[in-house]
Amino acid sequence: MAHRLVETQPQEALMELTTTVNDEARVIDVDGTESALDVVRDGLGLTGTKLVCGSGVCGACTMLVDREPLLGCLTPATRLRGASVTTVEGLADGEDLHPVQRAFAHHDGLQCGYCTPGFVVEAVAFHDRWRPEHGADEPDGPSREVIAEALAGHLCRCGSYEGIYRAVAAACRGEHDGGVGDVERVDAPAKVTGAAVYTTDVVLPGMMHAAIRRSDVAAGTVGPIRFPDGVVGLDVLGDDRRVRWAGQPIAVVAAESLAEARRIARELVVPVTVHDFVLDPEVAVRPGAPLVYPTRGERKAAPSAGEGGSMPAPWDGNRHGPSRSPFLGTLAKRRVGAARAAGRRCLVELEFHTAAQLHTAFEPHACVADWTDPQHLRVWLSTQGVDLMRYAIADRFDLDPAQVEVVAEHVGGGFGAKLSLTTEATSAISLSRLARRPVRLVLDRHEELTGTGNRPGSRSRVSMLVDDDTQAVRALVVDTDSHAGVAIGNSVAALSMLLYERTPRLARDVDVVTNAPPGAPFRGPGGPTSAWSLEQTVDEVAHRFGRDPIALRAQWDGNQKRQALYRWASALPTWERRPATGSQSGRFRRGVGVAAGNWIYLVDPDCEVVVSVEAGHLVASTAAQDMGTGSRTVVARAVAGVFDVDPSHVEVRLGRSHGGTSHGPASGGSRTTVSLWSTAVEAATSLRDRVGTDLDRAPDGASATAKRGGDRGLRAVPMTMNGIQVGRGFSAALHVTEVEVDTRTGKTRVLRVHGGIAVGRIHAPVLARSQCEGSIIQGIGLALYENQVLDPHTGLTLTANLEDYRIPQLGDTPEIDIHFHEEGWDRVPGGGVGLGEVATVSPAASVGNAIFNATGWRPLTLPVRPDRLLEGLRSEVTR
Amino acid sequence: MSLTILTAYDERPDGTGDLVYRAGGTDLQERLRTTGATPHVLDLTGVPGFAAVERTDAGTTLGAGVTVATVARDLATDYPALALTAAGLATPQVRAAATIGGNLLQRTRCWYFRHPHTSCFKSGGDGCPARDGRHLYGVAFDTAPCVHPHPSSLAMALLTYAATVDTTHRDGLGVGDVLGDGSDPTRDHLLADDEVLTRVTLPPPAAGERAAYVRSISRFEAEWPLVEAVVRIVRDAAGTVTSCGVAIGGVAPVPLRLGAVEELLTGSTLDDGTVAAGAHLATEGASPLPETGYKVQLVEATVLEVLERVRG
Repeated sequence: MAHRLVETQPQEALMELTTTVNDEARVIDVDGTESALDVVRDGLGLTGTKLVCGSGVCGACTMLVDREPLLGCLTPATRLRGASVTTVEGLADGEDLHPVQRAFAHHDGLQCGYCTPGFVVEAVAFHDRWRPEHGADEPDGPSREVIAEALAGHLCRCGSYEGIYRAVAAACRGEHDGGVGDVERVDAPAKVTGAAVYTTDVVLPGMMHAAIRRSDVAAGTVGPIRFPDGVVGLDVLGDDRRVRWAGQPIAVVAAESLAEARRIARELVVPVTVHDFVLDPEVAVRPGAPLVYPTRGERKAAPSAGEGGSMPAPWDGNRHGPSRSPFLGTLAKRRVGAARAAGRRCLVELEFHTAAQLHTAFEPHACVADWTDPQHLRVWLSTQGVDLMRYAIADRFDLDPAQVEVVAEHVGGGFGAKLSLTTEATSAISLSRLARRPVRLVLDRHEELTGTGNRPGSRSRVSMLVDDDTQAVRALVVDTDSHAGVAIGNSVAALSMLLYERTPRLARDVDVVTNAPPGAPFRGPGGPTSAWSLEQTVDEVAHRFGRDPIALRAQWDGNQKRQALYRWASALPTWERRPATGSQSGRFRRGVGVAAGNWIYLVDPDCEVVVSVEAGHLVASTAAQDMGTGSRTVVARAVAGVFDVDPSHVEVRLGRSHGGTSHGPASGGSRTTVSLWSTAVEAATSLRDRVGTDLDRAPDGASATAKRGGDRGLRAVPMTMNGIQVGRGFSAALHVTEVEVDTRTGKTRVLRVHGGIAVGRIHAPVLARSQCEGSIIQGIGLALYENQVLDPHTGLTLTANLEDYRIPQLGDTPEIDIHFHEEGWDRVPGGGVGLGEVATVSPAASVGNAIFNATGWRPLTLPVRPDRLLEGLRSEVTR
Repeated sequence: MSLTILTAYDERPDGTGDLVYRAGGTDLQERLRTTGATPHVLDLTGVPGFAAVERTDAGTTLGAGVTVATVARDLATDYPALALTAAGLATPQVRAAATIGGNLLQRTRCWYFRHPHTSCFKSGGDGCPARDGRHLYGVAFDTAPCVHPHPSSLAMALLTYAATVDTTHRDGLGVGDVLGDGSDPTRDHLLADDEVLTRVTLPPPAAGERAAYVRSISRFEAEWPLVEAVVRIVRDAAGTVTSCGVAIGGVAPVPLRLGAVEELLTGSTLDDGTVAAGAHLATEGASPLPETGYKVQLVEATVLEVLERVRG
């Protein structure tokens, strides 16, 4: 049933070769260019092995060929001739997992699971090699350096590296020879064996493959597109026929094979009248700059990079805004102005720049659409909101929501970029309707890294005025220009207003639009960007007045939960041995920095969970999804706790939304766990009260449903929009980070991070820790490596591969210590709120402050690449 | 037939059309995937002796298909500068598949060359968009029309051994003869379309050779070098350098052997002053682009680093 790429090219003679795959002899046909991955995934239907980067950088496609790990994407299929191939599906002996698979499951060396098959296969090869050679002499197992070296060809975007270190070392110590041990993540076994099915793995009989033709110019008007006879194609441009960024989808086509669809898309004749465009935000605001949105109607259709849509704000050319968040704003401005005029030392003013950070979820945006009849649509979609998308699709295609089913059994990461209905879905659905056949549309890495969103770059100016004697804050003014390309709706400066003393302050957020690809929500939208400037300014105040940066924050901060984190952080040995800033002169300089994080509390009051008994087993269902953040595990643990059974005995059905399912929350805004947990507990309790705990005697099919509801009397904003209610109170975080700067080569290594997270009760501690560790890894990427680069003459994205877009590797992982402060949220059902956003706000800023502490030079521009660091240190010496 | 597994280097299939030679495939497969091209592939892995290592009194001969991992492992004692360089490039999996011949003849890693919607000298166009565009990873010795450095780390190390290269057409070429000087910006090497690199020959091992290799990058590993440097030395009993080789990569259209630095170091005891002077001398003639000024400082830092390391 699997579709063979080469079968559609009968004119090509093929080479037949014999190979053994997972102990089974197979005869396969290969052409000249096919890779081993093509043969295994598409030809043999072994979809555990994944395609991510396609360029040998990430290792997701790793398979064993004659026991040696090889990159499936770069290995010519001819290499398989006469070879013995083992894929992730072939590692276990029946139900008996390989010790490395057990270790990954036990130590949670995974989140979304998309890179996991590659890591596991490589780790198995390493383990099987290492133990006979070293096992007897090194009872502690291999060091982190040895593991990092061996697994250097693998990347994980969720940042599960700490768990991976733990897992590989434990397996090598023989700790999993006997068994798995506890596994908190209920779908870990499916993910370490390659059994977990993602949208990209879905193959339907008669399925067509689609490809997108994208704009290679940054601005233009597109004429009518004529599709060749017989081609299933669609024009996806808006009525204004405008393209506004290089990479914007223009048309989509479907064909019998992906190669064919890509060829047709490439050869389509697209008449374009090229317009002037602007890429540099500084140029964009000058008089006479080309306008991205010349008319009012066009401006209205501008996409939003924020999670909750865009606030109304005035337009002036390419400037949208400002949106103001004032509290005695005029007074704040006046105080800052007076202090500036007087040249007061107690006024700290700094300007910061950040670069766009790309989500690059390892499962690309992907959709398989199938109109089972003209009134029923089934859609497999890699999404953060199966239920949200069901309604969005129904709305878009004029269907009743009951006619739409959205499926996302497993989601290979999202990070915010999979929260809306985008081209891959609308195109696959439309093409499938046209063709009356299932259609699959999967973005390649180049597309994923070009046009699926980014955390926008920015420029922020922060002015903080403090009292000379007490350092009480007298005024705070933050002005941020966000650079989200063609998108608007950024809120960065406003977030700076929520942490410290309620003194006069003013935040102004402006979107400067350009002909660059659109930004999109990215974990804690605006948060890390805001912290990069605010938290470094606070650090500068502390430095200027010789104050301890933690004590100074504690003086200002009214958040009791963060106060607890300040007490915890102050006592850390890492903090206590912090050197005096600028006191070091050697080549390698160590420094410690701190930064605070803050986030709003959101909940989905419409969230429903159904718990039932089926043939003596507990089944819990809700139309939520699991993108590696653990909603399946959270529901299982909630129900299991009520019935006092092991969570593995609860079958959780999620990742599916159709007319018969109950509403589940989208995975965004840190609202999944806080919505699901107490609802699942309530449903389970109600069922238990009715049928007791002896499930064998419970009536088959007995079920109970619960709905979350809001936090009565405790909502901050008295309304619910799109399943989001703003609850009262803020979650809190604090990161203490130690770095080592090599002043010779300009390289910064993060040695150690302590992450304090105050979100109340933790419902799945192992998974919560993994997610917080991942936030730190992503923050290190933002701080040191990640940098979207566009060609200034065309607007094309140059960093559209994982070689040039540099995300953190295993070896870049610091030692991480996560501390949960579990008090302070008792009024919320379940006693805890979400952590996906708050954990991600302050890591990058703490790296910046640590670099300052180490070197005496403050990095104002992200990322702090070696070239910037070398230049900064040079300027410091000159000064 | 779109594929021929060759049994001899000079074997050619009948018919016409695009032909492409393939060894490990670590560069080629990605480009085929990206461009959607379907040339006729001539797979070299079946040619007898393709992956053979032969040691004789005259030196060591490596078949073009000897993998980078084999170089790193099997030549560590006799040719440490080459072996350390091999061990320091790419990732374990790429090293296991990539070959020494492919490493020398691979295409540039420039992000414009590899972008499907741009054209440049090397992809059939007539300009270098990186020069007026973005070239953060470009050359710091701007001596040729194309501003991206040559990607071959092994070529850099082979320069320090004065290794020779045989092809189906010619014997005894220097690495410099194969790569040229970058003055023809359309090419990454100067072999003819139907010319196949068959062997690389190293001189006999130098007794007592010490070596160091440093790859300056921003992350832990597995990154194309911002700057890389390799040094090999032989010292006498008094600690005086009797012979040495120094080369740098990642900074010029082709890897650079630093004759002047070698001259300075030879006869010295690698005292601090000589090492610092040598590192500084390595930057002589640098002509950075607007975005590559940092590489000049990094050349000095990286050469200093290898010299300090090789001194022990």
